[in-house]
This record gives sequence, C-alpha cells and structure tokens, in this order.
Amino acid sequence: MSKGVVLFAQNNHTIDYIKQAIFCAKKIKKHLQLPVALITDNEDYLEKTYPYYSKYIEHVISIPWKECKQKRTFQDGAMSNRNLEWRNHDRSTVYDLTPFEETLVMDTDFIIGNNLLANAFKTQDDFLIYKTVTDLNYKRPDAEKFNSISDRSVDMFWATVFYFKKTEKMKVFFDLVEHIKSNWLYYRLVYQIPEVTYRNDFSFSIAIHIFNGHQRNPWPGILPGKLWFTTDSDILIKMDNEDYTFLLDKRNWKGHYNVGSIKDANVHIMNKFSLDRAISEVLENE
Amino acid sequence: MSKGFCLLAQNNQETDYVRQAYALALSLHKFNKNQKISLITNDIVPEEWKEAFDQIISIPWNDNAKESEWKIENRWKIYHASPYEETIVLEADMLITSDITHWWKELKKYNLFFVSNVRTYRDEIVTSRFYRQTFDANELPNLYSALHYFKKGNTAKEFYTLLEIVVNNWELFYSKYAKEKYQKWCSIDLCVAIVCKILGNEKEITNPNSYITFAHMKPQCQNWSNLPEKWTSVLGKYLRKDGTLLLGNYVQSRVLHYVEDEFLTDEIIEKLKNGK
Repeated sequence: MSKGVVLFAQNNHTIDYIKQAIFCAKKIKKHLQLPVALITDNEDYLEKTYPYYSKYIEHVISIPWKECKQKRTFQDGAMSNRNLEWRNHDRSTVYDLTPFEETLVMDTDFIIGNNLLANAFKTQDDFLIYKTVTDLNYKRPDAEKFNSISDRSVDMFWATVFYFKKTEKMKVFFDLVEHIKSNWLYYRLVYQIPEVTYRNDFSFSIAIHIFNGHQRNPWPGILPGKLWFTTDSDILIKMDNEDYTFLLDKRNWKGHYNVGSIKDANVHIMNKFSLDRAISEVLENE
Repeated sequence: MSKGFCLLAQNNQETDYVRQAYALALSLHKFNKNQKISLITNDIVPEEWKEAFDQIISIPWNDNAKESEWKIENRWKIYHASPYEETIVLEADMLITSDITHWWKELKKYNLFFVSNVRTYRDEIVTSRFYRQTFDANELPNLYSALHYFKKGNTAKEFYTLLEIVVNNWELFYSKYAKEKYQKWCSIDLCVAIVCKILGNEKEITNPNSYITFAHMKPQCQNWSNLPEKWTSVLGKYLRKDGTLLLGNYVQSRVLHYVEDEFLTDEIIEKLKNGK
C-alpha cells in the first residue's frame, strides 16, 4: 500500500504557507522518510519562488483558488496581531485528493522532530488522531479547556495531524466532515460553540462524536507520541536543527515572557510570523 | 426470590414527586421487560398512573416527614415496606435510559449495595468534591443512596435499623461523626455514610469500580468551567422517537438522576407513555 504525507498550503496576503510546507516537508524527509504531496491553490507561486521544492515534495496537487471571507486574528507574540484571511476549508477533501492509500495529514506549522509518527503506518487502525495536547508553556493555566470543543460540548480531537487509510468507512467520515462544514452555522449552535469561525478541529470532533453514535468510544485510535504546541502569543526565537527556543507568554503580565525550549519533539508552532522568520534563515542556502 | 424496584415519593409544595415516580416507572417499563415496581407513598396517585405500578404501598407507621420540606425522614422505612426479597431502590427524580435487567445478576452477589462513583452526562467519572466536602472532612464513605440495592436478611436489616436511629437523631450523630464542615440539615446520603462507618462494612456494600452507577446532573458535577445555576438552562435535550435521550448531544445510557424537576416535561412523559 502506498504511504505518504499530505500538506495543505493556501497562502493569504501575508502568511506564506507554501514556504512553511517546504520546511515541513524537509523535516518529514529527515525524520519519516516518506513521500510528500502538497495540495495548494497557487502552484505557480510554488514553482517560481521555491524552484528547489521538488527535493522535498514529490506530488503537487492543484486546487482552484477560492475567495475567502473567513478571517481570524493571528498574533505575533502577546503584543502584536493582524486580522487575516483563514483558508482552512479544504481539509475534508483530502480523502479524494491524496495520492496515497495510507496518508498522514498535517498542518504546515506542525514541525516534525522525531520519527514517532512513522509508527502510525504500522497499525491496523483506519484512523488515528490526537485527543490531548501538551502545552510547552506549562504555566498556562487553562489546559483543561481543550478537553472539549466548548465547556459543555463534546470531546476535542485535533485535526492538526491525523492518519487515515482509504477505506469506505473513512470516505463516509470525510463526507460527514464536509456536511458539517457546509452546515456550520447549524452545527455550531447544536454543539454550543461560541466561536464563529470554522475550525477543522471542531468539525472533526463533531464528526467523530456522531460516528460513535453520540457516545464516547475508543474510535479513532490515538496517534503515537505527543502533540506539543505553542500558541501565537508565544514567540519562536531560535531554531537550531531540532532544538527550538521560545519566549512563552506570561498571560497575566502582558508583553513579558518566560524562556522555554524543546528538542527532538513534534511541535505545533501557532505563531506563523515567528515561524516564518526562523524558516527564512533555514531555507536561505537552498 | 422475588425481585423489584421500590420508589418512595412524597409530594411537597413545589414538587410532584409522584409524577416523577410515574415517569420513572414508565421509563423502567420501556427499556426493561417484566419488572415489578412498587410505589411507596401516602399521596393521591391519579387512576391512569396506577397501572405503571404493581403495588402502591402506604408509608409504614406514621409520617415522619409531615413537617419537612425535603421529606427524607421516611427513607429508612423502604426496607420494611418493600414487598420484594431483593429490591433496587431508586430516587423518584431519575429516569432509566437502557436495559438494566442484567444488574440483578451482579447485585445478587451483595446483601446491600450502594453506588460510590457517579458519572457526568458525558460519562466522565465525577471528580468534583463540591457536594461531598463533609464526607471528605470527616473521612466518611462516599456512598450515594439515590440508587441502592438490598436483599432482605440480617445484614440489610441491621443497616436499616441503625439508619432509622441515625435519621431520627441526625444532629447527635452529625456532632460525633460529621462535625467538620457541619451540615445543618438531615441528608440521607450522609446518614447512610455514618451508618456504614459505624458498621465498618464499606468494602462489603460498595465497589467504586462497579458499572452499577448513574449520571448525576447536579451542575457542579459536570466538569464545567462556567457554572450555571441550573443545568436545564444551559444544556440541550433531545428525546428521539425511540426513547433515546440525548443531553448536550450525548446519548444517555446510564440511569439519569436529573435532579431538576423542570427537566421532566409533559412531552417526555407522553413519549415514555407511548413507548410502554
């Protein structure tokens, strides 16, 4: 069975997700040794700006550019933010678009630092995802708020990274995610989600809940390893191979930070601006 | 041996507990075939509700709860009033949401059984100790009397005899066994815990890992960050045609201790009635 990793990259006016995807693919090659497929709505930009991309990306799958009305605030540390387009509506199409029979899908700002996720391909499970996350900023007080998609709602699963096999069951699952996305205003109300913006984490969590007969169940399986994360209030200040150093937001003391670092881990770095600055240095000599 | 459920219901000025017991009986019949249910009450039971019960039994002896609002003073009489050799006691403000007939086989292993871990509507184990501060402060067993079982015999009789004494003299027993975080009212759970402590039989009458439990809907039990005054004001409820109940999008398969009377709408009773 063919195996590989799929990344989605749809730039907005400010954030270069394609650049993130190349860096992400570089790390995948180093640690997982798997082929990478990039799904993007701007293949021209990829080829012209990063002509060396094919060192890391084997398949480029074009999807049409669509106008995006959804915006969200992206922070660059605690003191700076911008309101930008958030193009995250195509994740549910991965079942049809992936060139692989077994696929690991990940956000481009999820940076691989070890080979633990290769073990996902050794399981019998048709779907693996993370249910818990680990905050690098251990002093952040409200980690339990991530247990469910809202205070009174269903369990949270993280669409940041997941593994699936191309089975009939998973086809139905992704169709359900698509249905939830298409009827987001309805599902948002029924599942008591205060946030207006559509999030893949939410639609995946709701779909899993429905798939499990509206009850807790051991499906899907849990991905190996840990999903570490830093928020966009934190700032990545140094990237030395697999050793990352961050300024971690002191929430109750705005503009003040603790220093924290992590090595050889898989980390979701939500501050796209500081990630971009770090990637620029790494890709300089490509 | 005869087996059956016993429900004690005494209406007060605010709540029609007989109506709750009727709904509970309907839900029991809906999901559990051929079960016997007795209602212990001194209140008037409307004619059309009577067929949900095998027997309607008067509260034995005099009514000890005449002056009380919470009406727990008669609870110890259930042992004496039950017409069954094996009895599952349920509080009136509960609903059955699935087939629990297999419980009889499990409970047969005990002479007396109390639930000692309860669940949220999401089926998480309740970890909040908000309502159990007196239990913790006085190292009392964490028992819930809302759902319990007894087999008629010396063990249960001894327990209920002592429970009668504790309930009738609760202030005296609280001052000795529950003096920390002192509760100024008589609570049957606390009285049961005191009896258990005096008899030293916790290991024989409960199992915290047992699947025999219930979903406890007191708001503080739900692992919520933002606490409402009432859970019924914040959580969606859906009753499917087949009687499946969803709270907050979770199918309820445990016994549901809904606590708040406003939950029990006429619509729910109608649907339970039609499914009998």
